[in-house]
Amino acid sequence: MWYGRKHVLKNINIKIPEKRVTAIIGPSGCGKTTFLKSLNRLIELVDGVRVEGEVLLDGVNIYDSQLTPTEVRKRVGMVFQKPNPLPKSIYENVAYGPKLHGIRDKEELDKIVKEALMAAGLWDEVKDRLHDSAFELSVGQQQRLCIARAIAVKPEVILMDEPCASLDPISTAKVEALIRELREEYTIVIVTHSLQQAMRISDYTAFFYYGELIEFGPTKKIFEEPEHELTYRYITGQFG
Amino acid sequence: MRPEFKDKIMHVLFLVPTLIAAGMLVMMLAFMSEGIGQISWRFLSSSIFEGGIFEPIMGTFFLFLGTVLITMPIGIFAAIYLVEYAPRDSKFVRIVDQAINNLAGVPSIVIGLFGYTFFCKILGLGISLVAGWLTLTLMMLPIMIRGTEEALRMIPQSFREAAMALGATKWETVRDAVLPAAMPGILTSILLGVARVAGETAAIIFTASVLTMRGLPRTPLEPVTSLTFYLFVLLVAIPKTSYKVAFGVALVLFGIVFLFSAIATVIRMYYRRKWKW
Repeated sequence: MWYGRKHVLKNINIKIPEKRVTAIIGPSGCGKTTFLKSLNRLIELVDGVRVEGEVLLDGVNIYDSQLTPTEVRKRVGMVFQKPNPLPKSIYENVAYGPKLHGIRDKEELDKIVKEALMAAGLWDEVKDRLHDSAFELSVGQQQRLCIARAIAVKPEVILMDEPCASLDPISTAKVEALIRELREEYTIVIVTHSLQQAMRISDYTAFFYYGELIEFGPTKKIFEEPEHELTYRYITGQFG
Repeated sequence: MRPEFKDKIMHVLFLVPTLIAAGMLVMMLAFMSEGIGQISWRFLSSSIFEGGIFEPIMGTFFLFLGTVLITMPIGIFAAIYLVEYAPRDSKFVRIVDQAINNLAGVPSIVIGLFGYTFFCKILGLGISLVAGWLTLTLMMLPIMIRGTEEALRMIPQSFREAAMALGATKWETVRDAVLPAAMPGILTSILLGVARVAGETAAIIFTASVLTMRGLPRTPLEPVTSLTFYLFVLLVAIPKTSYKVAFGVALVLFGIVFLFSAIATVIRMYYRRKWKW
């Protein structure tokens, strides 16, 4: 992966386990977000970016010219660092994805919206004001709305880029609980700055350092008996 | 000198220019108010041949209505292309941007001259409403494109990513995430453009209006008068014009422009209340 002439991600070989939470940790600027965005081709929005290599989803390279970014992103959803609801109502935010992918039936949409909001633990809070602007929700609610919006498309994988970075501790706890529930049905890849968070919610952890994958394995193992000197120093807080 | 005293001097130093500016505005308003006595339903609704200003009012509306209808799609589409579609930092975009800047800086009389030569003579449209539309479009287009571009650039990248990540195509992203959020800004630029066009004189002197008016145009190929042109005629061509009439015309023109900016403000307030971010 290159930004112009800068080689950002180098030879990353990783097999992300299905229906598990994989945390990506590492110091700032080490390519975590870049890596995440390469998993749903959102990286292609950046000017001057060049991608080499492949990302296989069920054995098919998502960068294959046969596939459109739209198809990839339907199967690989994403939640961002800062909650980013669309300038629409709460209902329309969640219904937006399914509508894009051709669902027109009102009853079916209602059902999808309700299920997604319930899955995101937001239904009880918003059921009486589905048609209010999404911007009227609190930041924590907005982030859960964004998760509901991602779920509504029924993806196989959900990418999360520091989803709790702009949330207070209570909202963070809610989102973390949600992530633990979601792993029953989805493969989750989450970038996080918080080592505690990685420990709390992930099954696997990958440690990135300056565009390279240093170590990858079960979270317990990474945090208790890392194989690599760099990993050890990072998780013990000697740099980062 | 004591610092407190120095501070007082600075205070006055900044206050005086403010008062001068405010005073000039008040004086202008006082002059304009001369026209108030002039304004009556009869003045607004009767023909210029009977001392009214019906034709100039209608002409002004005709002129900017057509201009907005031509400018809006071109301006908005061009801005969307420049911001959303064109590769950033491409040479083409830089050249177009520069051209738009230059067009915005051209004095309106020069645009009028071009309009007269090109639209009226070369294209053979004559001095007509349609030639006025096209000439005024040249004036409004840069404002429209600039304003819309700014409105689009104000939209955070995260809005686009939100739609893209759900599998929206480029156009769906623009339509559903970017345009609704940019709408207040776009409307503002339309209304700014309208204000400029409604108050424009030089660009239509040669292209849309003639001294001898024969009432309202029946087709776009006939000439039209406008409030600005009529004001010009009153001052230049008709000896012994009562200044009261002129100020009456000016007041109506001012009122129309004011009305548009008021509408713009209301729309923007409505949107702000609806979408906060």
